[in-house]
Amino acid sequence: MIEFDLLKLEPREKIATAEDVRLDLELDKIIGVAASNDKLIAETWLEVLLSKECPKDVTEYRQEAVRDALKNRGSVLRMYQIAREGYEKAYREVFLYRLDDPKFVVNEASSGVSILVDYLEKLLEVVSNTSFTSIAFRSLADSLISNVDKNFIDKAREINSILGFGSSVDFSVEIGVLNSLVNPVLLLPRNEGSIVSRLLSGEKKYTYRLDPRDEAGARILEDLRNWVLAGVATTVLNAFDKLLGFFRELARQLSFYVGAINLSDFLEKAGIPKTYPEINPRKLYFENLYPLSLAISSGRKPVPNSLDLDVDGSFAVIVTGVNKGGKTTFLKSLGQALLLARAGLFVPAERFVIPSTGAVYTHFLREEERTFSYGKFEEEVKRFRTMVEAIKRGDYVLMDESFVSTNHVEASVVAENVVSALLDSGVNVIYITFLQDFLHRFIPKYSGKAVLLVPERLSDGTRTYKLVKGSIQPGYALEVWRKIAGENMNGETA
Amino acid sequence: MSYRSILGSRGRRVGEDQVLYDLRIRELASEILGRERDELLWNLFQEPLDSVDAAVYRLDVFRDLMNESVYTAVERFVEKVRLALDYLEMEKDAFEPHKLGLHLDAALTYIEALEKFYDEMTSLEVRSQGLRGFMGYIGEIIRGTRFKAMKERALEAKNARDKIRIRVRIVGDKVHVWRFDGGEDLGKIIEKLFARFREGEVKKVRYIPTTSGFSHIHAAILEGAFKLFRDEYETLKRFREEFPKILDEGVVAFAREVRFYLLYLKFMKSLMKRGYAFTIPRFTLDGRIDVRGFYNILLAEKGVAIPNDISTDGSKRIFVVTGMNSGGKTTFATSFGQVVYLAKLGLPVPAERAEIPFFSTIATAYPAREDPRESLSRLEQDIVRAVDILRRADGSTLIIANELFSTTTSDEGYVLSKIFLEEVRKRGSYCVFVTFIPQVASLGFVISMVAQPSREDPTKPSYKILPGPPPSEYMAVRIASKYGLSYKELKAMVK
Repeated sequence: MIEFDLLKLEPREKIATAEDVRLDLELDKIIGVAASNDKLIAETWLEVLLSKECPKDVTEYRQEAVRDALKNRGSVLRMYQIAREGYEKAYREVFLYRLDDPKFVVNEASSGVSILVDYLEKLLEVVSNTSFTSIAFRSLADSLISNVDKNFIDKAREINSILGFGSSVDFSVEIGVLNSLVNPVLLLPRNEGSIVSRLLSGEKKYTYRLDPRDEAGARILEDLRNWVLAGVATTVLNAFDKLLGFFRELARQLSFYVGAINLSDFLEKAGIPKTYPEINPRKLYFENLYPLSLAISSGRKPVPNSLDLDVDGSFAVIVTGVNKGGKTTFLKSLGQALLLARAGLFVPAERFVIPSTGAVYTHFLREEERTFSYGKFEEEVKRFRTMVEAIKRGDYVLMDESFVSTNHVEASVVAENVVSALLDSGVNVIYITFLQDFLHRFIPKYSGKAVLLVPERLSDGTRTYKLVKGSIQPGYALEVWRKIAGENMNGETA
Repeated sequence: MSYRSILGSRGRRVGEDQVLYDLRIRELASEILGRERDELLWNLFQEPLDSVDAAVYRLDVFRDLMNESVYTAVERFVEKVRLALDYLEMEKDAFEPHKLGLHLDAALTYIEALEKFYDEMTSLEVRSQGLRGFMGYIGEIIRGTRFKAMKERALEAKNARDKIRIRVRIVGDKVHVWRFDGGEDLGKIIEKLFARFREGEVKKVRYIPTTSGFSHIHAAILEGAFKLFRDEYETLKRFREEFPKILDEGVVAFAREVRFYLLYLKFMKSLMKRGYAFTIPRFTLDGRIDVRGFYNILLAEKGVAIPNDISTDGSKRIFVVTGMNSGGKTTFATSFGQVVYLAKLGLPVPAERAEIPFFSTIATAYPAREDPRESLSRLEQDIVRAVDILRRADGSTLIIANELFSTTTSDEGYVLSKIFLEEVRKRGSYCVFVTFIPQVASLGFVISMVAQPSREDPTKPSYKILPGPPPSEYMAVRIASKYGLSYKELKAMVK
């Protein structure tokens, strides 16, 4: 049996709030670069980036394969091309829109088999001439080479020629309930010579010849033929489907690595460094982490951020401070890097160390929630609840201004309860918030696990769009006021 | 021994179509019988029984059949008997080589059905006179020499047939037939070759026959097979000649009649699965009524039936139902009527418990269907109907009256109702009297029942009908005050 698994994506389950994460972290921008208009790559990337389970060994397995793919990029691109072409050609030329016509199915499916066998031959050639080093690509190559040889290819072609056997069918049949004919088994046709010899040997035979005017009889004969072919039609169809499935699956798995090649090219062109992440349960450390989606949409090299934090089971990064200081950009860039890292990809940074390969969840403020209403608050809480239901120890929760749809006094209590509970159960939290009560109670209480970041402002007041460690200080009320009330209600008299 | 009907005695067809209409019996029957078109079964639903004994005879059969094992045994038996009948029906028009097979399989099916059923039922505890009688009947058949001989020869014929295997080649307009003597299965070869590829979603190519499997071509192939397997053919042929008649008439009748029970039980089970109860009714002799948790079958099918109780020790026999609009009053009365009607068919009833007298007749007086050609007014029609009922009513009559006398003033309506109900009382008849005239409920000789509002939202009905005095405040007034339209508030608003 041909076995390969370049992705180790089982079980193929996305995190519960995958759609939120996708939008909140602007994944479409990143995937757009990786895919460069290839829909299959985009689909695979979305699935891998948002997969629910991603144990450390899987991350490392893929990381090794990504390095291998970048090294053997020519072969990987060629294999992907063969797999896609084979699949698409068979898909285009084989018409299997109805499965209730055995004769038709046998014809179509066996012509499909013959198309795909040609591509198998091509694939075999590339694989035989590449020396892969990763476990993932090596075992794909080994499995292919040992299962698909010249002998297989010849036999498959021979069966195709038998199935185009024109008008004669040989089958055995028994008599069942109600004297109906049952259990038809299509037989390998006897060669003519032996029939002649049987006739000469005097073997008994009964022959019925259709009256030329018997049109109904002719239809029944056709129907009988179809009946006999039904069994083998299923077999040939499934053989074709298996082959087609092989090509589809191969293309799907390869597409992840083709995407990696594309993203690597992009980073190189943009002059952004790339590094393969490390996993260290006691560390959150990054050096010059670049906001990837911003780099993609702005076409510039954005301002990177760095952070060094000891982790004791879990951590909280609380971000607060003036608007337009790069808080949300930071949050997104960290979320994106976490997703890339756990997927086994490189990240846009000089160095990147994370404590776990847990899943990433987001709870970002929705614009319509920026007014006080218990109805909205209830919805917000409901959304949070959906997210929390799936969360595990070691996962990351990224919150951008959660709980602002009610007044800050009670929102702070909710936030404190929620964040403390997550942190104490081993979940990592990164939270942008202006909730003063929360900040003043939470930061001192969790000084060992939590760090407060604020936008850097130089002494002359310029913003650097970098975040730095800060301390809690009062005085954000006016900012909050403006944020909630909008620009026109700024308290100033004209 | 001759067959005695599993239905016991037949009832008498309801004289008045109006009762069937008012109690919605035809809708009920069509829910229960579904697509069944056997006229016998439809008729049975319109034939209430005359005696307690006849009802108990059927209810006893039901009690047996409510044992799942008994039910399954009977159901399977019936299916097989019907199958055997179908085969014999097909045999009439089949080609000769097929006739042999159809006949044999009708026999095999029938033999197996009868034996298996008898075995199964003997090991089960069956108490009803109906089923025990039938068991005795088929016991005799099975022990008979004719049945034994038929079985032996049928098996012999089947064995002969199983031996036949041929090789067929279709080429052009010719069909060649040989005795099968080996050959390689092409499908297996292909399967093996492609086993090295992972299995995906397995699709199945369907063969949809566009011609009959009993055609002259099939017959020709069979004929070829028979020529190549001469002895086997003779054995098959002999069986048909020796046993031209297969099924016993009594068994056929049972298989048809017992479906009355099976279909009802199937229907019951579908409702019970959704949490609705059915019970075997008991017939009281002292005038008592005690029905708990009865509900409307047609609503239960939609999952919205609310169960209610109705009871009396028999000293008061008239129930006056009042209360909020759309509060379930009519449903209450109709459902009770249905319970009584179904009990009279000898059927389990939709309730948790049901003790009722064996009513000889059920009479209904529902608002007349408007008919412009009718020369009488609604009120007149009501009165005609009421008087007609009173003429025939006695101590074992149940009258279901729904908004009788409602087209006149409530003073007049009250008076008419009072007179009517006093007459009912004189006859000792039972009556469920739905009315929106609350004074009627205050009559000393009636039991007042009231449709209750929902506790969560008093503007909505709960569909519970409970004993008690009619409400002092009207729902319409309460809703109005919710919008500030009470006397005080309105007065304060109008300056």
